[in-house]
Amino acid sequence: MRVVERVFDLILRLYPRGFRRQYADEMRAFVRARLAEPRHATPWGAFCLVCHILADCIVGAGREHLAARAASASGSRAVPFRQTLVSDNEPAEELMVTLVHDARYAVRTLRRRPAFTIVSAITLALGIGATSAIFGVIDTMLFRPLRYPAPEQIVVVSMTRGGSLREPPAYPDFLDWREQSRSFQSMGVIRSQSLNLTGRETPERVSGNFVSANLLTLLGAEPLVGRLFAPAETEVGTAAPVAVISEGLWRRRFGADQAIVGSPIVLNGQPFTVIGIVPSTFAFFGGTEVYLPITYYPNNAGLTRKDHSMFVVGRLRAGVTIASADAEMRAIGARLAEQFPAENAGSGAHVESLHTLLVGDVRAPLYIVMGAVTLLLLIACANVANLQLSHAVARRREMSIRSALGAGRGRLARQLLTESVILSTLGGLLAVAVAYGGVAGLITIIPIDLTFFNPIRVDGRVMAFAALVSILTGVVFGLAPAIQASRTSLTDALSTRTGGLSARVRGVEMRGVFVVAQLALSIVLLVGAGLLTRTLVKLHHVDLGFDTSNLLTMEFRLPAAKYSEPRQISDFFTRAIAEIRALPGVRSAALVRAVPLSGNSDARAYAVAGAADPEKGQAPILQLNTVSPGYFRTIGLALVAGRDVNEHDDADAPPVVVVNETFARREWPNASALGRRIRFVDSDRWLTVIGVARDAKHFGPADQPTPQAYIPYMQMPQIFTSVVVRANRDALALGPLVREAIWRVDRDQPVWKIRTMDSLVANTLGSKRVLLSLVGAFASVALLLAGVGIFGVMSFAVAQRTHEVGVRMALGASGGEVLRLIVGQGLRLTLVALLLGLAAAAGATRLMASQLFGVTPSDPVTFAAVPVVLCAVAALACYLPARRASRLDPLTALRRE
Amino acid sequence: MSVTDISLTDTGDSPMRSKEPRPADFLPLTPAVLHILLALADGEQHGYAIAQAIEAITGGAVRMGPGTLYGSIGRMVAGGLIEESARPRGRSGDDERRRFYRMTALGRRVLESETERLARVVALARAKNVLRRPEPA
Repeated sequence: MRVVERVFDLILRLYPRGFRRQYADEMRAFVRARLAEPRHATPWGAFCLVCHILADCIVGAGREHLAARAASASGSRAVPFRQTLVSDNEPAEELMVTLVHDARYAVRTLRRRPAFTIVSAITLALGIGATSAIFGVIDTMLFRPLRYPAPEQIVVVSMTRGGSLREPPAYPDFLDWREQSRSFQSMGVIRSQSLNLTGRETPERVSGNFVSANLLTLLGAEPLVGRLFAPAETEVGTAAPVAVISEGLWRRRFGADQAIVGSPIVLNGQPFTVIGIVPSTFAFFGGTEVYLPITYYPNNAGLTRKDHSMFVVGRLRAGVTIASADAEMRAIGARLAEQFPAENAGSGAHVESLHTLLVGDVRAPLYIVMGAVTLLLLIACANVANLQLSHAVARRREMSIRSALGAGRGRLARQLLTESVILSTLGGLLAVAVAYGGVAGLITIIPIDLTFFNPIRVDGRVMAFAALVSILTGVVFGLAPAIQASRTSLTDALSTRTGGLSARVRGVEMRGVFVVAQLALSIVLLVGAGLLTRTLVKLHHVDLGFDTSNLLTMEFRLPAAKYSEPRQISDFFTRAIAEIRALPGVRSAALVRAVPLSGNSDARAYAVAGAADPEKGQAPILQLNTVSPGYFRTIGLALVAGRDVNEHDDADAPPVVVVNETFARREWPNASALGRRIRFVDSDRWLTVIGVARDAKHFGPADQPTPQAYIPYMQMPQIFTSVVVRANRDALALGPLVREAIWRVDRDQPVWKIRTMDSLVANTLGSKRVLLSLVGAFASVALLLAGVGIFGVMSFAVAQRTHEVGVRMALGASGGEVLRLIVGQGLRLTLVALLLGLAAAAGATRLMASQLFGVTPSDPVTFAAVPVVLCAVAALACYLPARRASRLDPLTALRRE
Repeated sequence: MSVTDISLTDTGDSPMRSKEPRPADFLPLTPAVLHILLALADGEQHGYAIAQAIEAITGGAVRMGPGTLYGSIGRMVAGGLIEESARPRGRSGDDERRRFYRMTALGRRVLESETERLARVVALARAKNVLRRPEPA
């Protein structure tokens, strides 16, 4: 409903200012009251109301403009009642007859100039279609609730710690929260982790989620076949080895065989009985394939307070607000912090809506794209208005004759407005096709998980939006020609010459205004695109600390049931690495727990020997990675001091660690780090620093320097790992060979995410790249339209000034002087546009500061380069018509008059 | 350009102006103005209430949009047919911004003239037997 009010605010802008000042608030209250009527509660009712209001107000706004104009023409402030009421406010039937006449006449006129009609309709279709497609995405993601039942009640409960509001809690925290809180109907927990599905032809990695029973019911899941988890099946002590699988996996892997319900499947080397299948319409976290009880979550620490990796979702009781639930959880969090000082000191709990959490990062880019596409639409409008104006000049005689036959000014203006609206409606119809294509394209490039949202598609709301935009654009670009036509002076236009001088000049003036507007709007888009380009270039040139070329990465996880002993794990790793290194084309290979830029990571609180022990909850945090010997050499990360980990740093040797330069600088600023000792606060084992490595960006190029530490695999064997392989050339071609090598060690071991480091780099830049490609595409089209616009105006001006140029040349002006005259006229327009556009851009780019890296919103390079590009385009667009003028034969030119 | 290019409705009547407002100058009233005056005949109202009253007395046949309503109100205020009134007592529960309108003496005379005119039209129609159902006596 707020959307309707917002749209109405836009409609109100169509009214003259005086009228708006007087009645806008009243009219808003009126619309609100109308919306509150029960008959407008359904979407269809609301739609009918919007259409009614729209038609009513657009006609009304036109009438007020004419009335205001008549009032100012007659010199009195009060509007003569009878004149406006009787001559313009016709009874509805008469208005309909007029409209039908106007529409028929408009269609005839448009059909007589097909080139104009087609070019305008396509221009508008692109503008309206692109705007509608992006509206469709924004509407679904930001304005509409998530796809679950009663979605406004669904919230996420996170842990707060050290200024961060969104830390994952541990399983016991969840149990305490669920136990102590009163704000929730139910609270569920989820932990995503991929699973090894074996026991069939090829081992496979499937996406898995470990959940509590009520998580599925809380989100409104209904089984397609079988049943969902019973509450006891997912609780500690009463857990049962049961699994719920997705319809997708059921069809793909089990041939949609209903007999799978009740039979066992092998996951992570352990049998689970399938009890039910959830339909593909239920989705959570990017298409989960298998749900298992949370109690089977395999991790070394078990479900203890130390393992902070859970995601807690709650459904609020009816009537409970997020704020009051948050207040309750804050109190509970504070209580737990006191109760468990060792693990929970300094932490709290925080409630926010799931929707807010999901759209937090995409809100700004979406609004930027919407802003960009709106600018493009305005430019398209200006372009079509310009085309209209040039025709309006040509049609001046027609208008004069109609005027002489008794048509009022308002009548003529309405005729032209009808033409514009019919043209924009045509554009709007074509735009639906553009919107379909646009939505399909956008879905593939939006770099976020869309499974939580309703499907994004061209639906009734997008159609209604396209219709509204079509009519509004029709009015926007039709208003100028209509106003100009209504000013036509009879004697002026009917004289046998092609038109009076004053009207000609006015035509050029008004078109000049549109060209300036187009150029200025293009500048805003160009500056935006320029800043994003510079951001991407800067991100590309950030030194990641390692060499990304010809580097292959892949992940695998050993089934905990089969590899329970650290010795088994390290044996597997040693043999796998040996097999991989023996492959042809492999220069070196190593294991690492979390490949840089893969999104995997581990963080630990640490303490330094010789320094005072940090307060509970205040210990500094480092990024931890586990590596095999040769890792630093393989990814090309230089060691600045000390040595790499080697084969002798095994379980029996003294524990060692390699730290990064930031770590060393922070803890031992004036001395060597080598030989110093650190420990993790949850352990008593002291680790000796044996080497210092350069900083490596772990999440992306925009990372701030962070303390990092690497410990050898042999001293901390873990079942999850990644392989990095440095190839002699094409790294991706090695993928199948490396997988075969791993299968030679264990036939049941799935390997996934076989990617090159270059593709990981591209991934981290993904969202920026999408934003740039969209804004860049809009900016290019804008520049093209603006160039065509200024070319059209200058050609028109040259044609109008043929006589003048002839006189000048007859009086001795050279071709060069004429060229300068015409180009000068065009460049003056460009200069005005530059000033306006750069000022507008300086304001607009501030809004995109959050999306920039390494450049400020007022980046001097961008702000200097854009005018150069624009002037070049404008100069070319002016030069072509100017050259024609400079080559005029004065005699021919004078004879034409 | 052919003759058909001139729209049939181009010819409109020319405007009339007068200095002293006489009820006859305002006639005939548009349906919107007539209905608003009728709605205000019972006393002062705010805009939305006027629209509701019109919808009620016409049995839902006339639904007025905000543009028509406030456009007409604006011209009727300018023409002196209605005026804004101070907010009546006992209605403090209403929206603060609501403005109330009441009919002026001129407005009442205009309404009377218009209804008389319409009555004459109806009488004429009855005399010519074009009324489908005669009014009950």
